Amino acid sequence: MRLGMVIDLDRCIGCRSCAVACKSHNAQPPGTWWNRVFTPGSSFHQAAVGKDGGLQMEALPVSCQMCDNAPCQKVCPTGATYTDERGVVLIDYERCIGCRYCMAACPYGVRQFNWEDAKEVKARVGYEAGYEYGYPVDFRDKDGRLVFTPNRPAGVVEKCTFCAQYLAEGELPACIRGCPGKVRTFGDLDDPNSEVSKLIRKRQTVRLKEELGTSPKVYYIAPAKPIRLEVD
Amino acid sequence: MKKSNALLGLAGAIILISLIAWGYQVNNGLIVTNMRNPFSWGLYIATFAFFVGVAAGGLIVSSSVYLFNIEVLKPFTRIASLSAFASILGAGAMILPDMGRVERVWKVFLHPNFQSPLVWDVVVITAYLIITFLSVYVQLLPDWKKEGHGFLNGWTRKRSQEDINSFSKKWSKRVALVGLPVAILIHTVTALIFATQASRGWWNTAALPPDFVSVAVASGTALVLVISLLAVGKEQFEEYRGAFRTMALIVAGSLVIHFFFLSVDLIVHGWWGNSEAEEIHALIFGRYGFLYGLEILLPAFTMIFFFTEKGRSSFKALMIGSVLLFIGVFAHRMMLMFPAFNVIPLSLSLSGAGIESWAYPVALGQLREGLPVFVSSWDYSPTLVEYAVALLPFGQVLFVVTGAMKMYNFLPQKRIESPPTNEK
Ligand code: SF4
Ligand code: SF4
Repeated sequence: MRLGMVIDLDRCIGCRSCAVACKSHNAQPPGTWWNRVFTPGSSFHQAAVGKDGGLQMEALPVSCQMCDNAPCQKVCPTGATYTDERGVVLIDYERCIGCRYCMAACPYGVRQFNWEDAKEVKARVGYEAGYEYGYPVDFRDKDGRLVFTPNRPAGVVEKCTFCAQYLAEGELPACIRGCPGKVRTFGDLDDPNSEVSKLIRKRQTVRLKEELGTSPKVYYIAPAKPIRLEVD
Repeated sequence: MKKSNALLGLAGAIILISLIAWGYQVNNGLIVTNMRNPFSWGLYIATFAFFVGVAAGGLIVSSSVYLFNIEVLKPFTRIASLSAFASILGAGAMILPDMGRVERVWKVFLHPNFQSPLVWDVVVITAYLIITFLSVYVQLLPDWKKEGHGFLNGWTRKRSQEDINSFSKKWSKRVALVGLPVAILIHTVTALIFATQASRGWWNTAALPPDFVSVAVASGTALVLVISLLAVGKEQFEEYRGAFRTMALIVAGSLVIHFFFLSVDLIVHGWWGNSEAEEIHALIFGRYGFLYGLEILLPAFTMIFFFTEKGRSSFKALMIGSVLLFIGVFAHRMMLMFPAFNVIPLSLSLSGAGIESWAYPVALGQLREGLPVFVSSWDYSPTLVEYAVALLPFGQVLFVVTGAMKMYNFLPQKRIESPPTNEK
């Protein structure tokens, strides 16, 4: 089994609902965003780019690409970063020593460090006292590795887990469910009959930074929207 | 010996300051540094690489003396080994404050991932620590035997002085034989930590490991040179003139090789003219031009200076050349970080909009008024706490070198005064 995701860029409206759902469901500390949505080319979100009067605006969501050949896992000295039997790249919060080698290695900028204690920082930046958001309890994989905890310890790295805590219940990741445009499709890339496999066969897809050989399991359906004005 | 007590006191103070700063960091988290998600390695890793470099150089000097029989340098092999031992100890210590969870570092030994260059580095640095220690130890044994002190030398009691002398001689050579490749390895592997990462164009070059080794030989030899100069003092400078000249030549020669790699690398990075390389060039010649200038000009000056008669024939000239070189090499280590982290790996080109390289913003990792949530570059400069913590290896090297030289004979003249030993 190789779990993967297909993101249809034609449908994405850049609303950032997935980023918000991801952030709250996974109890991300202030300043940490496992999932980002930006308008490529523009210095801020939802601003069109172009030249000579020809404007375009796409939105591109980026979270962990769940690389099959994951540099973050290869550099991790302790094996804290590992790929589970479903192809999901995870981090054991109890084994990570916080060396941040994986952050230097990941080409997608999705890995984030807990520069300070999550609980303390929530209070400090003014998150309402007693308001706890996100999945409320620890989640361990079948070997007992701690891959989710609502208040992350200081000094460890975190990133998207494909919502490991929900997958274990047979549920979909929060970004899939939270997307109003039904942009995201999730499933087993090894199963030729899965919806993701069919989409990849049928539609033209790209993967980010494919030239680096990381073999991401997140596929993007290239936007086919007409570009407003073709520039010579 | 007054002077060495003062130096030990200074070293102790430096170590204390650094430990206090480290304690503060452990309490508050790495937020007290100026590193953030987009710029996740900084002064600590640069300082680590600097000390690995000088450490490698030390044993390369003392080993080549034994292996290639460079007679003039023989009086300084003890100092060279000591300098290597002290520096690698400093490098090993420097890596610890960079860890987010330093109390778990033992997990590297429990579950090592042998694909990780960091694990290779742990292995070779540990080996090097043992080898440099042994190198110092076997060289000191004859003195310890004679003077009846030292440690781990109970077994020498029953043997004759000659026995120990020849044992020391034989094993110094053997340790040197094993030590030389390991010395080259520690800096090669340290370079591989960076060079293997295709995500960072600035590092991802096969020129990095050989270049690291050439810088290591230059800076490591310079440290041996400085310690030796201070040890023999201005008074006896003339006596060891030949040795100092040779060391200066080694420094200058390896800098030639360094500049060779550096220019080849710049050309290869720049010739194709792709947008990432252009970004790197804009960073090193623009935003970080001053630091890059230091990295180039100071070692270049030392190289040329040490090739002139004037530059290598006086105490003062050698000191100045070496110190300038240290500053330049340190700048070089810092420059490992800036062009690597300020080029965001996930950059896209939008041909339709005429955009060649657009960096996908990264979450900063800190929510604070006045700071953006997502950034496409981060103006890293170390905080005061970082500077204080990074003093640790400097204090350690000063402490170990001064302490060891105070307790035992590392000075060459004492060896010459001692009666010649029978060769076997
Ligand atoms: S996107 Fe980054 S964090 Fe995710 S698997 Fe790939 S290298 Fe690892
Ligand atoms: S920071 Fe943690 S997960 Fe990343 S490489 Fe180091 S130990 Fe592994």
